[in-house]
Amino acid sequence: METLGYLIDGFGVALAPHNLMFALLGAFLGTLIGALPGLGPANGVAILIPLAFTLGLAPETALIMLTSVYAGAMYGGRISSILLNIPGDEPAMMTCLDGYPMAQQGKAAEALAISAVASFIGSLVATIGLILLAPVLAKFALTFGPAEYFALFLLAFATLGGITGKNPMKTVVAACIGLMIATMGIDNTGVQRYTFGVLELYEGVDFIIAIVGLFAISELLFFIEERAGGGKEKMTVNKLSLKWADIRNILPSSLRGGVLGFIAGVLPGAGASLGSFIGYTLEKKVVGKKGYFGQGDPRGVAGPEAGNNGASSGALVPMLTLGVPGSGTTAVLLALLISLNITPGPLMFTQNADIVWGVIAALLIGNFLLLLLNIPLVGIFVKLLSVPPMFLLPIVTMIAFVGIYSISNTTFDLYFMVAFGVAGYIFRKLEIPLVPVILGLLLGPEMEKNLRHAMDISDGDWTILWDSGLAIGLWLFAGLGLILPYVVGPLLRRRMKVTTGTGGPEGD
Amino acid sequence: MNDRIFGILLIVLAVAYGWGATQLPAPFGGSEAVGPETFPLLLSVVLVLSSLYLIVRPDPDNAWPWSRTGIELLIAVVVLVLYAALLQPLGFILSTTLAVGTLCWRMGSAPVRAYLTGAASGVVVFLLFNFALDLALPLGVLSFLEVG
Repeated sequence: METLGYLIDGFGVALAPHNLMFALLGAFLGTLIGALPGLGPANGVAILIPLAFTLGLAPETALIMLTSVYAGAMYGGRISSILLNIPGDEPAMMTCLDGYPMAQQGKAAEALAISAVASFIGSLVATIGLILLAPVLAKFALTFGPAEYFALFLLAFATLGGITGKNPMKTVVAACIGLMIATMGIDNTGVQRYTFGVLELYEGVDFIIAIVGLFAISELLFFIEERAGGGKEKMTVNKLSLKWADIRNILPSSLRGGVLGFIAGVLPGAGASLGSFIGYTLEKKVVGKKGYFGQGDPRGVAGPEAGNNGASSGALVPMLTLGVPGSGTTAVLLALLISLNITPGPLMFTQNADIVWGVIAALLIGNFLLLLLNIPLVGIFVKLLSVPPMFLLPIVTMIAFVGIYSISNTTFDLYFMVAFGVAGYIFRKLEIPLVPVILGLLLGPEMEKNLRHAMDISDGDWTILWDSGLAIGLWLFAGLGLILPYVVGPLLRRRMKVTTGTGGPEGD
Repeated sequence: MNDRIFGILLIVLAVAYGWGATQLPAPFGGSEAVGPETFPLLLSVVLVLSSLYLIVRPDPDNAWPWSRTGIELLIAVVVLVLYAALLQPLGFILSTTLAVGTLCWRMGSAPVRAYLTGAASGVVVFLLFNFALDLALPLGVLSFLEVG
């Protein structure tokens, strides 16, 4: 019941007028970011972080706004899946399977409305799961010593690629690069490392600059390379005619999808893509022959969409309780926490209870806002979808410049950002994932600190790192996280491909 | 082939980084179990091993954009660098007009529309930051416009 009290306090924070206003703004911007071409959720949240600083927002307000952006981006991602058969982000892939056929049958408005309701239910289920699970996990995490934390960080890196990831070794390479960049600057014994005497490097590399460069600038370069500046054809959406029976019809699918998605989101290495995939396959199994999946069955829209949103809320659990994010966007949210001087992890639940619970309450409120925003305003978002990237991306780049410039008012940071952008482009070409680089940058200092503490405790005996049952378990899972992609990865990837391949649009 | 070259570069980086770690001075107050060099040394070992894997078992290559697209990319990077360099001297509005305009134009828009977009976005963001958010962006050569 303690939880309930905290939650009520959280609502007190989230319902404060200015917080509510920023939640609404965040939800709107988030949907926009999710819907617009070339602006993934991680990218969008990253660009908004420096702006949140320059606005001088209070920590809880900044976090509430960006969590709403995060939730909104998941809503927005489905719009282009349904209307264009182009998933806005990877987890939205499964929504294409039945959403696009529905749109082709002239039921685009219904598909959008159903997916909004399903997203809402999925997030709601997962947020309730978060409320129940997070305090328990946080309490458990209090028993972690430095050795366990060190192993936990390794686990986070090892599972970041996910079991459907392609080449785990590239995740390792990426993580090393990120961790190496994190060691630049003056360490906590006061020694300068890799600063090359450059004054600006004494404080290390600001990860916000790195994140914005890696995501936003490299995205611009990718669009230029693909010459995808032209944009898409204009779309129209029919008038909505949705009956209660339709919503009742998709309720069970949404609930199942939400629960599954939540589990996939919490577990390391699963992630939203797998969540929506399992959501879809399960729906197909449960409904069986009565359904017409792949030909515009509303339940085929609801299941994966609920799963995808459930997973994104579920992914907040490890981020908030352990301080280890499981996805790119939660990594960016972690960056925000660290820059706000809030140490993520179990202590946050006691030391910054108002912030944590304010954010959780904001998630609940944000979901209602998103549902309210999404059904009547979908027309606006659809219009924005046809903004050609050739105008959009340069403006986004400019906003990234303004944001970074406003942090410190120096051009040095801007050069740095461009350099990270070029590096990000090269990494993406080589299929080196960017998220582990960022996670390395974020977790590097903590990881080294925990290693140092563990060694101080054991007086230089390295075996302390695998001395407790918990630590051994974490090492084991980390090992599995690297080995499993080789074993089951190809199989799962093939299955996902088969489903999306055959389920896509057949003719026209 | 890409992976092999990258792997070799990374090994060079890792060795240089590891060597750099051994050159770090001992912290004030004597050495400890984990000094400033321990963690970097660990990283360089892991990076050498994982890069070796890339060299031994490389993934299939993605094509690099040579020729025209490559030049477009180069132009874009040059524009970004110039944007950063000119932001203070030229001022936010002018440099944004040039940078956003050039990028829009190179991405396929008609030149007039491109630079109009750039100018409009520059003015709007400038006004928004200076008046609504109370954050001064540089005016540069347009500083004679400054009010009060």
